[in-house]
Amino acid sequence: MTDLDATVVPPVRLKLLTTLTAVSEAEFSTLRDTLEVSDSMLSKHIAAFEKVGYVTRRKGVHRGRRTTWVSLTPRGRKALSAHVAALRALIDGVD
Amino acid sequence: MPSAPESTPILSNMESDPEHPTAAEASAALIEAEASRATLAHGIATPSWFFASISAAVTAQIATTAVGLGADVPWVMAAGLAIFAAIAGMQLARFRRLNGVWLGGLASRVVLGTGIPASSSYAVALGAAIWAAYDARWWLVALWSIAGGGAYALSGRRWLRRYRALPAVHGRGESAAWLVAVGVAAFAGLAFLLTNG
Repeated sequence: MTDLDATVVPPVRLKLLTTLTAVSEAEFSTLRDTLEVSDSMLSKHIAAFEKVGYVTRRKGVHRGRRTTWVSLTPRGRKALSAHVAALRALIDGVD
Repeated sequence: MPSAPESTPILSNMESDPEHPTAAEASAALIEAEASRATLAHGIATPSWFFASISAAVTAQIATTAVGLGADVPWVMAAGLAIFAAIAGMQLARFRRLNGVWLGGLASRVVLGTGIPASSSYAVALGAAIWAAYDARWWLVALWSIAGGGAYALSGRRWLRRYRALPAVHGRGESAAWLVAVGVAAFAGLAFLLTNG
């Protein structure tokens, strides 16, 4: 059985990566509102993912304000797939 | 000073270990994550007049290409391309501003028409409009141009419905390398028409 990815285990992090699979790039406040988390919480999770190369972020402008755009990397996509497979195996193992 | 006794993080049977979720927790986490993605995808909206303007831009592009070739006025073709590029760029910028996301799939499939329905209907309409222009049947040029623009927009609407149903599958669109290859092929085709038309 594939091991769970410790970086992705917290549910909000799984939500963040999964949400990013729907878009090529998302603006910080869009992600914050979708995930219903605080700015600091989202920043913390993005920083953790950026550290392991699962997401990239860049500075940009949205509605005339400086902001951050976040996107999933190929490595992050692969890690998410593996983590979801491990979760499904865990669920199937009990059923 | 006596030190406070260290607390030992012992988990009771009723508490879960965040590093090792139970099957129920894993299931709940997956459901929540997918719901979050669905919320984002369903919240994606197109700016006002999005599909109508893309349809009009493609109609103008087909018509100007046919007229440019039929009447041998290359600048008309260039004007049609410029109109399309301006409207496409403006609508993509409005989309990004409205939703706070960038969707590669929308840019390639809906605006650049790289999906099979959009590209095949465009090719048929363009070919028929050019044939009509060489035969000086201008009303047919107009008809095929409008049909091509309409089909293009309809295939875009279809893509958006499919995206909302399966956002992870349709969100990204083609790779940048593939789009560059299509762009090069399109310009090569245009150059061929201009030099041999």
